[in-house]
Amino acid sequence: MREAVAAATAAVTALVGDQAARWDRAGRLPEDVVRKLGAAGHLTAQIPTAYGGPGWNSADSGEFTAHVGSLCSSLRSVMTSGGMAAWTVERLGDRAQSAELLPRLASGDTAAVAFSEPQAGSDLSAIETTVTLDGDTLVLTGRKKWVTAAEYADLFLVVARMGEEGAVVVVPRTAPGVRLRRVTDPLGCRAAGHADLRLDEVRLPLSSLLGGGRQPLSLLVTTALAYGRLSVAWGCVGILRACVTAAVEHAGSRHQFGLPLGRHQLVARHLADLWTAEQIAARVCEYASRRWDENAADLGTAIVLAKYVSSGQAANGAAAAVQVLASAGAQDGHVVARAYRDAKLMEIIEGSNEVCQLILADHARSRT
Amino acid sequence: MTTSSDTVQTDLLRFLATRTGRTWETDADVFGSGGLSSLFAMELVVHLERSYGIAVRGADLRMDNFRTVLQMTALVERLQQQPTAGDSGGSGA
Repeated sequence: MREAVAAATAAVTALVGDQAARWDRAGRLPEDVVRKLGAAGHLTAQIPTAYGGPGWNSADSGEFTAHVGSLCSSLRSVMTSGGMAAWTVERLGDRAQSAELLPRLASGDTAAVAFSEPQAGSDLSAIETTVTLDGDTLVLTGRKKWVTAAEYADLFLVVARMGEEGAVVVVPRTAPGVRLRRVTDPLGCRAAGHADLRLDEVRLPLSSLLGGGRQPLSLLVTTALAYGRLSVAWGCVGILRACVTAAVEHAGSRHQFGLPLGRHQLVARHLADLWTAEQIAARVCEYASRRWDENAADLGTAIVLAKYVSSGQAANGAAAAVQVLASAGAQDGHVVARAYRDAKLMEIIEGSNEVCQLILADHARSRT
Repeated sequence: MTTSSDTVQTDLLRFLATRTGRTWETDADVFGSGGLSSLFAMELVVHLERSYGIAVRGADLRMDNFRTVLQMTALVERLQQQPTAGDSGGSGA
């Protein structure tokens, strides 16, 4: 397993090369980069081997995610979406659906998960997209916002309302009634293919409802987000690693007032804090992944904690890195400039800081 | 391996008490008034899977299977009589 992770790490390093800055400025990943990673199973590394996936555990998948995140947060976002889609199928789908969809996702088909709506961001209980049954077909109508990786996706997993409960519908990009509109100039992860999704009376076979639908909406969302949040958290570890490397290199090579920058105490403090931020984020992610691999009951809390801590550390750490690099890093495309914008977005998506705080406060209260 | 329903009930009551700091009746709606969070629902699912070697997937994730200790016990009994093939592999939870 370790060899497979090392090989995948080397392969993705070679695939990205020095292109991430250009992709960021263009707002677009090359299609063949996404396809190559998908075909190797590296967009969905935790799909079990029984379904043709790499079958990595969360700890290995997390380290790999951090590595991709250190190279390019847009590519890492596409990976987060694919992995979250696969996990959602594995968890909510019946066996026939897993047997049909997971081998596809493990071998190159790409997927995105659609949660947010114009009136349902942090409050996903306000989702208005609705699925109804009409004989042997289902009808899906609604609007989704900011679907990460949508531009690259062959399949959308759409979270919808079904009567009093919820449902996740698997929607092929090519289904009649599906329309995409690209989100222009996003603050961060600019090449992650964010798009808004319009679903006008999309008709699909009933087998498109994961597990037959009518599951509790909050449980569907929490389950899908469990993967997405942990993946984002590891991506933030990667952002911090890239920032540590860039800041240490710059502070060692640039001289001001007759000394390397890093010998000035005020700059040295930035380096210490940045390295500490990376260590904190890595430890909290390692813990959550360990709980995932142990299938521990406190897994959900450990994941929210990891997401909350890592994204905050990444936002602060990236700001410190820009400060150390100063004019050398204050330009779009530069690794620390990207980190600064990407990390801020990480404090918003997959449960904003404030949503995480509410969940953690609720958890703290329930313990006493 | 199956677990007797008495054992499952006792275990679940203990788990709920530890996790919520209060005692529960076997027919009390744990998601009712003062409703427990969706995070807790996920905890319950994971706890059932880990404790009884079952996989709670797809259509079994309906709320009616988790509302009370009695319903959860019935779910465990039913799933323990089914094979769990296809759920092996690297990912946990």
